[in-house]
Amino acid sequence: MKLFAGVALLSVLATGALAHSKLAGSIPSDGTVIAALPGEMTLNFNKKIRLTLVKITRGDAPGIKANLTGHKGFGTHFAVPLTGSEGGVYRVEWRGLGVDGHAMQGDFSFTVE
Amino acid sequence: MSGIWSGLAVLSQFVLYTGVTFSAGLVLIRAVFGADVAPVVRRMGRQAAVFALAALGAAASGFLLSGAQLTGDASGMTDPEILALLWQTPAGEALVLRLTGLALILAGLFPGPLRHPLAVAGAGLALWSFTQVGHVSALESALLRLVLFLHLAGVAFWVGVLLPLCDLTRDAGTLNRAAQLGHRFGQVATVTVPLLLLAGLVMAWQLTGSIQALILTGYGQILLAKAGFVTLVLALAALNKLRFVPALHRQDPAAAAGFLRSLKTETCVLLLVFAATALLTGTVALPE
Repeated sequence: MKLFAGVALLSVLATGALAHSKLAGSIPSDGTVIAALPGEMTLNFNKKIRLTLVKITRGDAPGIKANLTGHKGFGTHFAVPLTGSEGGVYRVEWRGLGVDGHAMQGDFSFTVE
Repeated sequence: MSGIWSGLAVLSQFVLYTGVTFSAGLVLIRAVFGADVAPVVRRMGRQAAVFALAALGAAASGFLLSGAQLTGDASGMTDPEILALLWQTPAGEALVLRLTGLALILAGLFPGPLRHPLAVAGAGLALWSFTQVGHVSALESALLRLVLFLHLAGVAFWVGVLLPLCDLTRDAGTLNRAAQLGHRFGQVATVTVPLLLLAGLVMAWQLTGSIQALILTGYGQILLAKAGFVTLVLALAALNKLRFVPALHRQDPAAAAGFLRSLKTETCVLLLVFAATALLTGTVALPE
């Protein structure tokens, strides 16, 4: 029983640091500083994925889920519309399903001056 | 907070590995060593039922938790679109195979002319389900899937002998049977365990691809930890085969207590192997 409890704790603690991440690149890319928020953001993956969530959070404001109705299939390249013009640090959290049935997730940030 | 879904998914994967390997293993051991385990066969049936039911729950909850992982909140567990999406991928095929296999294991516990073939077929299906989804299936190699299946069958066979050995050793009246089962299992294991390890090494090499990836990536580091646990289990198994089983045969009065202690430790370390495997399959990406 103690071993099961230990494994349960380990499972929850370990996943924070070891989440799947197959994002090959993005525009804006992780860590960049840009002058203005573009009209859309692109996400590129190494392998085909079906995007299920893209959540954009600016600073401490509540996150906004991007509209993914145009992305109902599996692909490697996604263009996600962005709205707003405020400066600040933007954090992008993405989630998706690989064709092998694996749930994947990751995040990155960029700054708008 | 959203990381909690990944954590719960890993936990359900751990319960799934434990449940499937123990229930399938108990079925395989009953099929191969039926005469040796006769005094505890009813107890083995109850144990197999508990593990199969736990695995059924873990398989279903793991599927729903994948839905939660996709949306980042509990809504994914009941969202028809998300669940339908999952169902169409190998995750859906694996779930069907798993549920069918575990149901056959449970059906094989009830009296009937086909109970043993049903249970063995169920064990095979439940083990085969792991070849449908995960890192090995992503490599799209039929040979590697077969290697994974043989690896899992070897693991189940090994795990399945632990509980009947413990039960036979606890009762002074069945110590001879424990010694006999330990001896016969040791004979079979001299063939199956090296094959099991070879299959594990082949898959590890295919998945990591280099010594550098083994040392520097999260996947490789957990794989090394798993290999460390496996080495410990092998040492305990060797201790059982070379020291405790011969001592039981000689009716050494101290052998039973030592053998039981060793079997319990072996079981605990095997659970750590399953935990490492759940982390490998659930949270970390393969080295590029």
